[in-house]
Amino acid sequence: MREAQGGSRSALAALYAAHWRRAHRAAYLIVHDAAVAEDVAQDAFLAAVGALDRFDRRRPFAPWLHRIVANRAIDWARREALRRRVDGAGEREQLARPPEGLGEDVMEALAELPAEQRAAIVLRYLLDYTPGEIAGMLDLPRGTVNSRLRRALDRLGTQLEAER
Amino acid sequence: MNEARLRSLLREAPIPVSEDSERRGLEVLEAALAEREPRRAPVTSPRRLALALAVAALLGALLLSPAGAAVRDWVDDVLTTAPRPGPGLAKIPGGGRLLVQSRSGPWVVQADGSRRLLGNFEEATWSPRGLYVAAASGRTLTALKPDGTPRWSLSAAAPVSDPRWSPSGYRIAYRSGGGLRVTDANGTRDRLIDPAIAPVAPAWSPLGLSQLAYVGADGSLRFADGESRRMIERARALPGIKRLEWAGETLLEASATALQLRSISVSKLAQGIEVGPPRGLPLPAGATVRDATLSPDGEKVASVLGVRGRLGPRGLVVVFDDGGGGRRLFNAPGRLSEVAWAPHGGRLLIAWPSTDQWLFLPTGRGEGRSVSEVSAAFAPGARVASFPRIEGWCCSGWIGQRG
Repeated sequence: MREAQGGSRSALAALYAAHWRRAHRAAYLIVHDAAVAEDVAQDAFLAAVGALDRFDRRRPFAPWLHRIVANRAIDWARREALRRRVDGAGEREQLARPPEGLGEDVMEALAELPAEQRAAIVLRYLLDYTPGEIAGMLDLPRGTVNSRLRRALDRLGTQLEAER
Repeated sequence: MNEARLRSLLREAPIPVSEDSERRGLEVLEAALAEREPRRAPVTSPRRLALALAVAALLGALLLSPAGAAVRDWVDDVLTTAPRPGPGLAKIPGGGRLLVQSRSGPWVVQADGSRRLLGNFEEATWSPRGLYVAAASGRTLTALKPDGTPRWSLSAAAPVSDPRWSPSGYRIAYRSGGGLRVTDANGTRDRLIDPAIAPVAPAWSPLGLSQLAYVGADGSLRFADGESRRMIERARALPGIKRLEWAGETLLEASATALQLRSISVSKLAQGIEVGPPRGLPLPAGATVRDATLSPDGEKVASVLGVRGRLGPRGLVVVFDDGGGGRRLFNAPGRLSEVAWAPHGGRLLIAWPSTDQWLFLPTGRGEGRSVSEVSAAFAPGARVASFPRIEGWCCSGWIGQRG
């Protein structure tokens, strides 16, 4: 981290290699669009690099990056939802289909959740943050995070049960 | 389904990802890192602080005392006489670096007046920190270091013009083939944003975001996302618009005879961009707009106007504040052609081709400076030298620190 702050390309590459895939996966699971997920993850890295000088090295890098990813992904998903309401178009429907295979039903059920609930699920069960940490990352009361997680799990369970 | 299974599915379920997306992202990141300059902590020694306070107190006393009234008047006076022409381009008053387009190509002028021709390009623009220059020539967009070393080139299907580097440093917008395109700042992911736009340079959001404003072929003012390519907002542009700028929370539109401002509010959430109603700036009767530009903070507009005087054409420099009030800073016989703000505001560079001079004028207190024989400085050895165009005065700072 210190070397990346100093402008070392190899240190930056190492930092990137260590965090890119998880950041990208998290973004995809929230936005459900491959191209947008790539943009969100890249944008989050760019924002992180842009603010490296301000970064407190005593703190871990991953939560900082994941916070940016989650918030940008939520912003995008909200904008997209608004755009769909305004345009009435479903042009991204085909993009929302994940590759077939393991977890296809989970992906589809996840895609049916509101973006805020998806983000809570991803932060909790993919990235392993506690509800308190998620509350800090999304700037929400902890109770709100707990209720989002509860509702999301209920809906996921219901949808998956219904499909069986 | 229990929580453990959900965890495992989220981690292992295949997700669509293109093979080169990881590499592509790293390239963009490396370009951004190269563009970044380490921040330096401000050094404020007690002695400096005491000195600054003493100077402030003295100025306050001067301005408030009866004797200080003259000082206050002088501050607000119109500067009517040109500064005495200085000998050639020995240094840039106020510092910074200039990008200047001559007939032979763009030049980088260092603060000490030394200059370098970058190559055979038709126009150029600074990157936000001035670590690179994006230059257009024919159908090629090239990024190069200010010493002329090329970094990458991109070949378009049609001639390239009006490159504009985003304030974040991550993207470059340009016009080509009648459309608006954006490429990542490492020359990859070139994409079409709008197939039909007017011949007006686009303007990036100054917040370091990916939104940009431009004028559609139908004359509408449009806001699009340079990443997702989605149209965000549109409004009616100033008729005959030839220049668009976006700084702070203000958008400037200029035509040959009018100037107007709009407040722009960018929402991070779903609302996108709110475009305020146009507010026209009052111009002298019969004035033509030669050039106009927003200050780096977006709170002032510097304009160069042409008016007809009793003895022939005259040039006027008028600075408008955010409320639309104008203050005449300078007027001169002949033609003034361009204006550029110093990187941190406070000083203007005015092009005065009629006398082959550049004027460096303070917008407040201080003396103006003039540089003579400007044409010859950018046409060494040429018998006939044309007056060069100012492409930019670098650099007002980097705004891309988000997250």
